[in-house]
Amino acid sequence: MAEYQYLFTRIQVRGPLYPGVPLPAEDEPRSKPFGFSHLAGKLGDAQIGPMYLGTYGVLSLMLGFIAFEIIGLNMLASVNWNPVLFVRDLFWLSLDPPLPQHGLRLMMPMHEGGWWLLAGACLTASLLLWCARTYARAKSLGLGTHTTWAFMGAIWLFLVLGFIRPIMMGSWSEAVPFGIFSHLDWTAAFSIRYGNLFYNPFHALSIVFLYGSVLIFAMHGATILAVGRFGGEREVEHTIDRGTAAERAGLFWRWTMGFNATYESIHRWAWWFAILTPVTGGIGILLTGTLVDNWYLWAMDRGFVASYPPYDTVNPYLQGAPR
Amino acid sequence: MAVLSFEKKYRVRGGTLVGGDLFDFWVGPFYVGLFGVTTIFFSLLGTALILVAAAGGGTFNPWRINIAPPDIAYGLRLAPMALGGYWQVITICALGAFGSWALRQAEIARKLGMGMHIPVAYSVAVFAFFTLNVIRPVLMGAWGHGFPYGIFSHLDWVSNVGYQYLHFHYNPAHMIAVTLFFTTTFALSLHASLVLAAINPAKGEAVKGAEHENSFYRDFIGYSIGTLGIHRLGLFLALSAGIWSAICIVISGPFWTRGWPEWWGWWLKLPFWSI
Amino acid sequence: MRFNTTNVTLLSLAGAAAVIGFGLLFTFERLPVQTVQGGFRGTSMGRVDNPRTAVVMAAANQAPEAPEAADATGERAREVYENVPVLGHLSVEQFGRIMNVMTQWLYPGEGDAVGCNGCHVAGNFASDDKYQKHVARRMIQMTMALNSEWTPHTAQTGVTCWTCHRGQSVPANVWHEAPRSTGPNFLTGPGEQNRPNLAAGLSDLPLDPFTPYLMGAQEIRMQGANQHPRPESRQSIQQTEWTYSLMMHMSTSLGVNCTFCHNSRAFANWEESPPQRALAWQGIRMVRDINNTYIESLRERFPANRLGPLGDTLKANCTTCHQGVNKPMYGAPMIRDYPELLPAPAAQRAEVAGPRIQ
Repeated sequence: MAEYQYLFTRIQVRGPLYPGVPLPAEDEPRSKPFGFSHLAGKLGDAQIGPMYLGTYGVLSLMLGFIAFEIIGLNMLASVNWNPVLFVRDLFWLSLDPPLPQHGLRLMMPMHEGGWWLLAGACLTASLLLWCARTYARAKSLGLGTHTTWAFMGAIWLFLVLGFIRPIMMGSWSEAVPFGIFSHLDWTAAFSIRYGNLFYNPFHALSIVFLYGSVLIFAMHGATILAVGRFGGEREVEHTIDRGTAAERAGLFWRWTMGFNATYESIHRWAWWFAILTPVTGGIGILLTGTLVDNWYLWAMDRGFVASYPPYDTVNPYLQGAPR
Repeated sequence: MAVLSFEKKYRVRGGTLVGGDLFDFWVGPFYVGLFGVTTIFFSLLGTALILVAAAGGGTFNPWRINIAPPDIAYGLRLAPMALGGYWQVITICALGAFGSWALRQAEIARKLGMGMHIPVAYSVAVFAFFTLNVIRPVLMGAWGHGFPYGIFSHLDWVSNVGYQYLHFHYNPAHMIAVTLFFTTTFALSLHASLVLAAINPAKGEAVKGAEHENSFYRDFIGYSIGTLGIHRLGLFLALSAGIWSAICIVISGPFWTRGWPEWWGWWLKLPFWSI
Repeated sequence: MRFNTTNVTLLSLAGAAAVIGFGLLFTFERLPVQTVQGGFRGTSMGRVDNPRTAVVMAAANQAPEAPEAADATGERAREVYENVPVLGHLSVEQFGRIMNVMTQWLYPGEGDAVGCNGCHVAGNFASDDKYQKHVARRMIQMTMALNSEWTPHTAQTGVTCWTCHRGQSVPANVWHEAPRSTGPNFLTGPGEQNRPNLAAGLSDLPLDPFTPYLMGAQEIRMQGANQHPRPESRQSIQQTEWTYSLMMHMSTSLGVNCTFCHNSRAFANWEESPPQRALAWQGIRMVRDINNTYIESLRERFPANRLGPLGDTLKANCTTCHQGVNKPMYGAPMIRDYPELLPAPAAQRAEVAGPRIQ
């Protein structure tokens, strides 16, 4: 291959470790930078650290760790503390939400859902604190708070699944278990119970945005790398002072599909596609079981189900079958 | 309106792969090229056939149109038009259009002095379609294994293929692909947020540069991949998602016939668990 | 290429990935694959089979050759032998034939505890001292019921002792209730799911779908029957996992997938379901009848080593008869060769003394 394709950095330049843009006085000092990683430098930036710990960050990590430990130790307990079985059965192990009979109570036997509730509460608090962290870090540096709002989109879906919908359904048992295979079983059972989620229009929209996000990142990533030779990755600079990289990138898409974005607006396309994925998904989950009990029947009623020749299978319930 | 303020100087001759100067011109904002002509040909033919087949199917409701592949019994042969033949020709048109599109992208990139990343990335998506409707049906011995062309009918296909393997979520390649899809969307939201945050800073602040972007992420998670790195990562994640999706469907059927949960038996049967 | 930490790390990672990847190749199956269409074209309903597995299964699921048919004329068995309440209506030849072939089906071989001695006290065929004889008597009544009342499921194929027992006194595929503990009060112990579950195809679904659905008559249907929620549609996601577990069992025990009986876009809809679903519906009710009316009714007869750890009998599920094939023994109509296992004709049945044997 004669031409450099901008995929991996061939020559890494080392300067002094960059301590970061100065923080306002009310912030803590940063941690020390950890150093350089040659491996990381092949793909991206080589510098590791410094990091900002901060109150939100430390609290968030602690609560997250507690949630992780609750889940893990319950999994270990469920195999009678056998470490070999723990490793072997790890993907099958799970911490399940409370039994249906406990409804929305906050107090229940620990082994009948109390641990799940506690782990869920810690995890939720951890995520909200991490979200607060994104806000504080952006504010300290004078940046816009777009990351925080993006995170809120994902937190919306998380809260719908584990909190809002169970409350509307009247039972914590509707929520998602903590476990690798078990959360997949939940997903399949959810679709089976509610008449096949493919017929939920918000599920369809969410998938459009999910696939669309992957499409956009492939397009955008490829475009920037394709104009790398013109300094295309300098997106902020090109936004305020358009150079030939931005011009060629825009024209490529204009000539290909008749319209194009700009260096700034492509990030707005991207932002909305990525955020609408969990937002519409959350709406779809919330409507399921509350307003719609069977999405296939709902779709039949709205007239958008494709038709196939019917079978002549007789419903045995109508037949007066033996027992 | 069709030509941007800075565009004229870029509209030069050259860059074509095939056909020289013959189709080297623009129609409005669109570049034509030989592959633009072939794209239009395949697209128009394919669309016309979709409409004809839809007419035979009894509905023009866009949600309900269903153009189905042939019965399995036809194997890899051409089926009668109304019994799956339309589907077959439409598939050929689709591949023709997609391939033409990729080659046209290559010509445009050459004309603009850009790298080939976009047509290569696009070809990965085309390859996923090719896997679904050509490679897998051929391996399984019948065109009837392709997915039907219809908005909701193709979802019926997806659902049933999933349940043919009892619980498709347990397909290990599917797990990897889904993870990559969610990670790509996650990374996209982070990248878009960061760039917009730098260009649209807090009220009264000046536009921020790369030092601020890097500082934010180092403060936030201890590492900043950088402006070039994030685009490499994004492209890698997105293409990997497509590749693993193609893998997950091509192994279902040709290389696995049982339920996917049962595949995990090899892990449970490893000899060292009893030690 | 230079020999530095980064390159060594990258090379070892690549090497490890290659080795693991190569190993994983052996966990899959290979081409060619057989498919059978089960629905309208493009819906992707139908079977996906491995022809190499199919050959092995076919060899393992053959019906044994039937002995020559017995002469149905002559004296009745109850006129010649003592204590023949269920099969007394057969001719002596038929009676001898069915007794003989039952030893092959249940207690093959010769010795103190096999052959005729599996059920009978040696030298005293009329004696009821062995529990196996009581069990066998009830089992014969069960077989007759399966071949008459349950023809909606067994059709003209029918069942014999061989269908379940296949040469063993205790069938290879039976189930019993499992002890369920929730561990010490404070922490989660081994529960009702979340372990590798062979019954449900190694998924994470509930471990015992048999007690509620193949012993008990709990509602299997989970989907709402209306587009909007109704007060009666209170089934939860957790309950749906139980149904799913039963369905996984049915799929693996019949060697078919969900689309054999269902169009997954509308699991509950009968017009969209292939006719096999109605057969399966009958099968579920039939298994409940087997387990309750016949097998569990024998609980007091069995010694401890023939009961589960909670003291319940070893019961039947779909695997017991089907053993991985959607029609047991590929649909070989065994009942045609063994008319002895059909119920006595009504006229003769009236002559059988006493109530149904318990």
